[in-house]
Amino acid sequence: MNAADATSIAAQVRDGALSARAAAQRSLARIEATDARINAFSARLAERALKRAELIDVHPQRHKMPLAGVPFAVKNLFDVAGLPTLAGSKIERDAAPARRDALLVRRLEAQGAVLVGALHMDEYAYGFSTENTHYGPTRNPHDLSRISGGSSGGSAASVAAGQVPLSLGSDTNGSIRVPSSLCGVFGLKPTFGRLPRVGSYPFVASLDTLGPFARSVQDLALAYDAMQGPLSGPPSDDPACAQRPPQPTLQMLSQGAQGLRIAVLGGWFREMALAEATDAVDAVAQALATTRLVELPEVERARAAAFVVTCGEGGALHLPDLKTRAQDFDPLTRDRFLANALVPAAWVVQAQRVRHWFARHVARVFETVDVLLAPATPCVAPTLGTEWLQIGDRRLPARASMGLLTQPISCIGLPVVTVPLWGMSAAQPQLPIGVQLIAAPWREDHALRVAAQLQASGLCSAPVAQGL
Amino acid sequence: MDHSAYVDAAAATLGLKISAEQRPGVLQFFALAAGMAELLQGLPLQPHDESGNVFLPVPPQGGPDT
Repeated sequence: MNAADATSIAAQVRDGALSARAAAQRSLARIEATDARINAFSARLAERALKRAELIDVHPQRHKMPLAGVPFAVKNLFDVAGLPTLAGSKIERDAAPARRDALLVRRLEAQGAVLVGALHMDEYAYGFSTENTHYGPTRNPHDLSRISGGSSGGSAASVAAGQVPLSLGSDTNGSIRVPSSLCGVFGLKPTFGRLPRVGSYPFVASLDTLGPFARSVQDLALAYDAMQGPLSGPPSDDPACAQRPPQPTLQMLSQGAQGLRIAVLGGWFREMALAEATDAVDAVAQALATTRLVELPEVERARAAAFVVTCGEGGALHLPDLKTRAQDFDPLTRDRFLANALVPAAWVVQAQRVRHWFARHVARVFETVDVLLAPATPCVAPTLGTEWLQIGDRRLPARASMGLLTQPISCIGLPVVTVPLWGMSAAQPQLPIGVQLIAAPWREDHALRVAAQLQASGLCSAPVAQGL
Repeated sequence: MDHSAYVDAAAATLGLKISAEQRPGVLQFFALAAGMAELLQGLPLQPHDESGNVFLPVPPQGGPDT
């Protein structure tokens, strides 16, 4: 049961073979049995979940609900009615409890899903490791001595551990793709502006994107389809939301990669990765029968643009608290936020201009290709506390470098599905590593179709971690 | 490049107190951002290369877009 994906749980609940209450109880029991070791959950919502599940069980439309009885959990930057929205911080413990669930939580529950808890993350989403000083590290279910990745570390770890089949996270610079890679689960970062962010705690408004984690591509598509659609309130509730009508993807998965033009990203995306990461990309390329190599222009500058926009917006957002209670920030984020608050406006404006330049040039590349392949992380999950990463002759800060290969992509808001591969690291064959399937804006369907083919071929999978 | 004078002046202007414990980290991370900014300044842009940050006007409630 803990290995069951959302698709099969929903089918059983619709058919009456399994009650939503039993599905919620099993999820809660798995969390109880395993979370002392993983530390994915910041809040467990047993009473709420069981009440909700009972409503699903007697709901007259239950047999039509795509997510009937599917337990799920959310990064604790999503509003959950009655809880303060922590966003991984100590400071927000003082915030008033949310009065209403985040919009995406409401959309999933409207389709029959059952929220069972909130999940740990890096403070204010500013990190790639979820080694949160306030709440302790979220450990990688496949090796408890290693990081889960971040900032949505709890979201990936909870799915990898079989605690829930589905979770939500956010991705500003790689925070869905990095933990997906390190924990060995599927993750979808939709196009920037696709899913409304109403009721989620911001980090960098110019880059923040919400999306799902799951153990199958079908589940990603199922959840993504349930969350699509324009805002029901005024557009100013989330100015970045593109207000696009839903473009369902689930029924398109069976098309696989047929007819899609696929290429491997070269240059920066090969140079800033260890062999285990490039080997994973090569395995995917081989499975998709592509030998084409494409290079994007000025990738390092694109990464710098994302970095500086993050500095400017993140620093300004937290300036009031930095002025009055800097000591209450996580030591892993505090000095960075302080430095960011001082960044000159000219740097941030230039970063936004470079970002637009890069987007226009990459759009030309997508005139002749549909999906680009790149590693999601430079390496498999490092051990907790790792400070430095050696890539070629470069000695780089390990935590920040987990996003080297994701930042240039989210800089221009492209949709990405991260797919997990196994056995790529000779030294750590038990650990997963992810490959980014990158599509043109609004073509999540392309990335999901390729992911579905890779899953069907057996090359990519997201098994529940054993021995927890 | 030594950014300490700028960091101290900007912090004072913003009313941001940076403790002796925090200062080395702040200077280190500011230097990292400065390196990124230098990269960005190196891309030749034209006056008409616009920002990726676009403002969305807010219409009154009840209009056709609400």
